[in-house]
Amino acid sequence: MGERTTMPDVGRRGIMAGATGIALGAFGSPVLAQGTQMLRIRFGSDISQLDPAKIFGIENQSVATHVYSGLVKYDQATNAIVPDIATGHEVSSDGTVWTFRLRPGVTWHKNFGAFTSDDVKFSFDRILDPATGSAYRGQLAGLKEVQAPDPMTVRFVLEAPNSGFLHKLCAFNQGWIVSRRAVTEIGERYSMNPIGTGPFVFERWTTGNEVRMSANAAYFGGAPQVSELMFRVVRDETAAAIALENRELDIFFALQSPDVIDRLRRANGVTLLDRPANNTVNLVLNTTAGPLRDVRVRRAIMHAMNRKALIDGFFRGTKTEATSVLTPTFQEYTDEGVPRYAYDPDRARALLREAGVSNFRFEITTPALNPYDRFPVPLANDLQQVGIQATVRVLERAAYGQARSSGNVQSCITAVVGPPDPDSALVTLFHTRSFPPGLNTSRYDRADDLLAEAARATDMAQRKATYGRLLKQTMEDVPVLPLFAEQLFVAHGARVQGFVQNSLFTVNASPVSLRGA
Amino acid sequence: MLLYVARCAAQLAVALVGIVTVAFFLMRAIPGDPAIYMLGDYATTESLATLRARLGLDLPVWQQYGMFLASAARGDLGASVVTGQSALAEIWSAVPPSAELAVAGMSIAIAFGVPLGVIAAVRQGTYVDVAVMALALGGISFPVFWLGLVAILVLSHDLGLFPALGATSEPGLWPAIHHLALPALVLGLSVAAYIARLTRSAMLEVLGQDHIRVARAMGVPERRIVWRLALRNASIPILAVIGVTFAWSLGNAILVEAVFSRPGLGSTILKAILARDYQLVQAGVLVLAAAVVLLNTLLDLVYGAIDPRLRKA
Repeated sequence: MGERTTMPDVGRRGIMAGATGIALGAFGSPVLAQGTQMLRIRFGSDISQLDPAKIFGIENQSVATHVYSGLVKYDQATNAIVPDIATGHEVSSDGTVWTFRLRPGVTWHKNFGAFTSDDVKFSFDRILDPATGSAYRGQLAGLKEVQAPDPMTVRFVLEAPNSGFLHKLCAFNQGWIVSRRAVTEIGERYSMNPIGTGPFVFERWTTGNEVRMSANAAYFGGAPQVSELMFRVVRDETAAAIALENRELDIFFALQSPDVIDRLRRANGVTLLDRPANNTVNLVLNTTAGPLRDVRVRRAIMHAMNRKALIDGFFRGTKTEATSVLTPTFQEYTDEGVPRYAYDPDRARALLREAGVSNFRFEITTPALNPYDRFPVPLANDLQQVGIQATVRVLERAAYGQARSSGNVQSCITAVVGPPDPDSALVTLFHTRSFPPGLNTSRYDRADDLLAEAARATDMAQRKATYGRLLKQTMEDVPVLPLFAEQLFVAHGARVQGFVQNSLFTVNASPVSLRGA
Repeated sequence: MLLYVARCAAQLAVALVGIVTVAFFLMRAIPGDPAIYMLGDYATTESLATLRARLGLDLPVWQQYGMFLASAARGDLGASVVTGQSALAEIWSAVPPSAELAVAGMSIAIAFGVPLGVIAAVRQGTYVDVAVMALALGGISFPVFWLGLVAILVLSHDLGLFPALGATSEPGLWPAIHHLALPALVLGLSVAAYIARLTRSAMLEVLGQDHIRVARAMGVPERRIVWRLALRNASIPILAVIGVTFAWSLGNAILVEAVFSRPGLGSTILKAILARDYQLVQAGVLVLAAAVVLLNTLLDLVYGAIDPRLRKA
């Protein structure tokens, strides 16, 4: 396949160059010409923040994935939790003390010295310190103390046993370890000058344009096979697709538009990968607002929406059906006993009649981001068919954030993008401590006990059973209506070898090598 | 002359303070909050309060404004609330790519716009005139992002003449020019349309004046009449429109930057507005406003050089 795609391309360009009298050297792959091993990855928007305490957004997280390590990490292919910078761990018999042995001989990037347990303690203490203002402080609720008894041992003392605690230490967001010396010495400028122990060293950021990283030859997991990484901001997906076909880019990250997906599926020399993400996209109903207090009205809305048509029609099959807010990528996922809601307008009308609701005005608040600004429209149309006066209010992103945080919305479109940690996703959506300004815009208050019980569970079977009960209950009460499960698309060129797509909504180039470079 | 420069400087200062003040209050009047933007999914009342206090957003707006003016007077425009880097430094790093695009685009615009306008005026009413004006109408009517995408599809994808990405960090002059060519062409042609229309009407007015008729009567060659006598007289309104379209092209540059994936002031400020990154917006607006005001001041000086009648004014 590679031969077939390479030849006409070079030929065409050669002819054009000859005809116009422009030097041939200007064409073709600049990487080949320079003889370096640079991997070029498309980002849809610019980075803004690389401090693990404050990091948010898939571009920032993708860069951080290469900079930092965690004690443990998610296996890119299976989502199983595997050792990263810790070589192993033990849990005390009462489940409250977790002791990790650290890998010796690991050094920080840019000569910031040796990695020790003190850095681990510093990292988690920093998240817990209210003065840091970390968004992830709530993730470590129940963590009493971090101890560093010797340089290669670190101990976490919990208030109560927590079978999901390992998720909180995974190399993602609050789980990324920072260097005490680097954070202290670099100070305010740290967020854009990150220091880690990961496979790539952060070199430079050009506002709105690109991020450059170089391979960390001393990486404990083995030096990466490419010598340089370039994350290039290309906002327009069509332009990015053409750049990929032109071989100006190697990996097209965060591919979303069904048109562009179609185009790349047919393109020569391009491999299109897809994989279920860890999140669904949901319609969150405010269960304290008017008729939405009645579960029959909420179920009527669920029956009235043709979610299958949305997936097959609007998204042309680039999303999948969701049975609850957890996706099958979670190890705790189950759909056993979880009620399903078929598209059934008659049933919806009957439920509304039963609830004594007619001419109900219903507003869906959604951010002005493609496709969130458009897909609620067919859903509102479905709702109108059963007599709900549905309208869509599209708000510019920051205004949407403010409206949602105020809690004064009837309903809103929300997705919780993150690691396959059920506690994180479900606490964010259903726990009372996530009431606005948090994401529990539905003000659902019946999940706290089950969430606590799942955290206390001692083995996987018990954990899974408890989360199963929670999923069943939330799908009966339907404060949050899962509309579809997100599907992640990534495309790469023929030179890219060994790329593994993850379900974290990040791109990880660590195992990649380049053919012919 | 010294008085003139002093007056220009005073005008510049007043304009900049005014523009930045408007930007300051406008940004705070629109809904949205940088703290919510940054904390997103995991926002709690306490974490929002902590972050707002750290960013100084919990103070009354007037107090924030006073603090902003005081530090701005010392040349400190604050740090971006999202990245924590110096706002002015971040904006400044976006200036070179924007300047490249603006200069290249305006050069193309002038190189195409002025001659086409002159030709259309000289051949007024002929097919040439109609064709040039139709072309100009097209140039004004087609949205620049559409023009950009078509240019990428045809010139980059189908013909392989230019890269699809309009910027590169490869070293060397040729790669830089090669990547800049397509965005500059698209921006330039859309501005050229305006310049061509205006040049045509300015030329028509001058060509009808007495001194041109006298020159013709005296047997001055037509070529000299058109390109030396008439164009020089028509150049004041042309320069004026170049000054105006420069500001306008900075706006259009946001779209060109987006389509061609170029960094620049437009996309940096847009990003800052979306994130409610107040300090970055203020620094960006200040730099943009300064560029527009300075260019127009420069044009004022050039008018004087071209037209002696304006020197005394």
